[in-house]
Amino acid sequence: MFDAFIDGLFLVLQWKAFSLMLVGMSLGFCVGLLPGIGGAATLALMIPFIFKMSPAEAFAFLLGMHSVAATTGDITSVLFGVPGEAISAATVVDGYPMAKKGEAGRALGAALMSSLLGALIGAVALALAIPIVRPLVLTFGSPELFMLSVIGISCITSLSGAGARGQIKGFAMGLLGLLVSTIGQERQSGSLRFDMGIMYLWEGLDFVPVLVGIFALPEIIDLAVRGTSIAGEGPAENLRSGVMEGIKDTFRHFWLVFRCSVIGVFVGIMPGAGGGVAQWMAYAHSVQSAKDSKDRERFGKGDVRGVLGPGAANNSKEGGELIPTVAFGVPGSGAMAILLSGFLIMGLVPGPDMLTKHLSITFSMVWTLAIANIITVLLCLTVLDQLAKITNVRGGWIIPFVLLLVFVGSYTANGQIADLIVTLIFGMISYFMVLFGWPRPPFVLGFVLGKVIETYLFISMSRYGFTWLKHPIVVLLIILMLVVIAYPYIQQRRDRSGNPADA
Amino acid sequence: MRKGRVLFCIFLIAVAAYAIHSALGWSFKTRLFPLSVSIPLLVLATIQLLQVIFGKGETDEGAGLDLDFSSDVPPEVARRRVINTFSWIIAFIVSVYLIGFPLTVPLFIFFYLKFQSEVSWLYTIAATAITWGFFYTLFQWLVHIQFEPGVIQTWLDL
Repeated sequence: MFDAFIDGLFLVLQWKAFSLMLVGMSLGFCVGLLPGIGGAATLALMIPFIFKMSPAEAFAFLLGMHSVAATTGDITSVLFGVPGEAISAATVVDGYPMAKKGEAGRALGAALMSSLLGALIGAVALALAIPIVRPLVLTFGSPELFMLSVIGISCITSLSGAGARGQIKGFAMGLLGLLVSTIGQERQSGSLRFDMGIMYLWEGLDFVPVLVGIFALPEIIDLAVRGTSIAGEGPAENLRSGVMEGIKDTFRHFWLVFRCSVIGVFVGIMPGAGGGVAQWMAYAHSVQSAKDSKDRERFGKGDVRGVLGPGAANNSKEGGELIPTVAFGVPGSGAMAILLSGFLIMGLVPGPDMLTKHLSITFSMVWTLAIANIITVLLCLTVLDQLAKITNVRGGWIIPFVLLLVFVGSYTANGQIADLIVTLIFGMISYFMVLFGWPRPPFVLGFVLGKVIETYLFISMSRYGFTWLKHPIVVLLIILMLVVIAYPYIQQRRDRSGNPADA
Repeated sequence: MRKGRVLFCIFLIAVAAYAIHSALGWSFKTRLFPLSVSIPLLVLATIQLLQVIFGKGETDEGAGLDLDFSSDVPPEVARRRVINTFSWIIAFIVSVYLIGFPLTVPLFIFFYLKFQSEVSWLYTIAATAITWGFFYTLFQWLVHIQFEPGVIQTWLDL
C-alpha cells in the first residue's frame, strides 16, 4: 500500500505527466475565471487529447485542470460578485461584500488558503476512504438521498434571516427555486411543464444564465448606483497584509475549515449532489457555527467565515467525488461522468482493480489533487496584489467588462439569445429580491437541487410508496431537518434569556 | 417601498397560482412535485403579503444572508442609475439580436466607455481593441463557440 502511495507520487512527478498537469492547470485557471465555461464542459473538450497519453499523464492533465477551476472560480466571485463557476456561487455572499469593504485581499487570501486546505483534506479522504466507503454509499438509497437534499435546502432557508418573517421568506425563496427547476420536460413521463409554448424551455433552464443573472446583475447595478470603485472610497487596503490576514483567518478558523471540508467530501461521495450543494451546506454550517444571533447577522455583510466554508467545501468535494467514481464506477457528478469516460479510454475499469492492480494510478490522482492545488494557490498568492487592485478601479471603467463576462458566460450555455434574456429576467427578479429583503441563496439552492430532489422523490415513491418515510436513516434525517429548522428559534430564545435587554 | 413589497408578494402569489392552475391538468407523476412546492409557496407568499399589509414596522429582516444595496446615494439618483444600467443591458441584448454577438462586443465596450463612463479616447479605443482581440482569440478561434448571426446579417444574407 505504502509502495503504491510513493509510486503514485513518482508517476505524477515524471516530467511528461508533470508538464501535462501544468498545461491542464493553466487551462483550468482560465476556465475558473470565466463564468459559463464550466469545468465539466472543458473536461469534455479535453477528452480527445488524452488518447496518446499514459493513464498517469491523462489523469494528471484532466484532474489538474478540473481541480484548479474550483479554486480560481472563487476569484471572480470575490472581486466582481460574478461566480466564475457554478460551484463558486456561495463565495459571492460574503466574499463580494468583503471586497466592497476594501478587504478583497483578505477575502482572496482566505478563499485560496481554505481551498488549498479543502483540496488536501479531500485528497487525504480519497486516500483513506476507499476501503471503508462502500458500505456507506450502499446504505444510502433514493429516499435517504432525497432527505439529504431536503436538509441542504432547510439549512440555508432556516438561516436566511432573523425571526419568523425571515424563515417565511427563506422557505418561500427555496420553494420558488424548486418550482423554477421544474420548467421543461419532466424526466419520467416526458410531459412538458410551464413551457409556455417556447421551445427553448423544453430542456429546462440552464444553471449558468440563471445563476449569473441572480448573483451578478444586482451587484453590477449596485456598483453603477454607487458610482465608486468596488472597494468604495474608504482607505485602500494594504494588500499584502490583507492577503496574509486572510491566510491567518483560515488557520484561526481551522476547525470550521476542517468541518466544511468534511461536508464537501461527504456530499461529493453522494451521487448526484455535487459541488452546488456542498458549497451551500458548508455555508449554512458556517452560519450555524456563529456564537449567537448577533454574530450570525454578520454573515452576508462580509464575514470571512462565509468565504472559508464554501472555499474549503468546493475543493474537498473533488476528492469525495472521486471516491465512488474510482471505487465503483459510480460518478458523483457530470464532471466525474466525463472523467469516467477517460478511465475507459485508458483501458481502466473502475472498481476493485483500481484498488489492487492499479492502486498506484489511484494514488497518482490523490497526488495530482494535492500538488495542483498547492502550485495554484502559491501562484495566485504571488499575483493577488495585482488582482485585488481591480477593486480600486472606478466602477464605470470595469462595468462593461464585467457585463461582457456575464453575458458571454450566459450565452455559452446554449448559444442562443434566449440565454441572455433569461439572465436579464432573473437579474431583474433578483434585483427586487434584494431590494425587498428576500434572500437569494435559498432560491439558488432550490433551483440547483430541484431536478435531483424530484428524481429521488419519484424513485422513492415508485419503489416504496410512502413506506420510505419509515426507513431508519430517513427518520434520523427528518429529525435532523427539524433540528436545523428549529435551531435559529432556539438560538434566538437562548439569546433573549441570556440578555433580557434585547427582548 | 411598501407598495413595492406588496407587488413582489403579489408576483409570487401569481407565480404560485399559475403553477397550481397549470399542474392540476397534468398526470399524477407530472404534477406531484410542482404541486408539492407551489401550494406551500402560495401559502407563504400570502402570509407574507398579509404581514406587509397589516403588520407593524415591516423591516428588511429575512435578507440576513444577502447583499444590502448602497444607501449612500439619494433615492432619485439611485433610481435613475438603476434604469440607466438596465437600459444598457437591454441595449446589449437587442444589439446581439440585431447584429450578432461578435459585433456587439466591441461596439458595447466602445459606447459604454466613451458615453457612459466618459473615459479618454485613447483608453476607450485601446480597451475596445484588446477586448475584441481577447474575445475573438478565445471564443471564436480557440474554443470555436458558434454565435448566432444577427437578424440584420440574416436579412442581408451576409
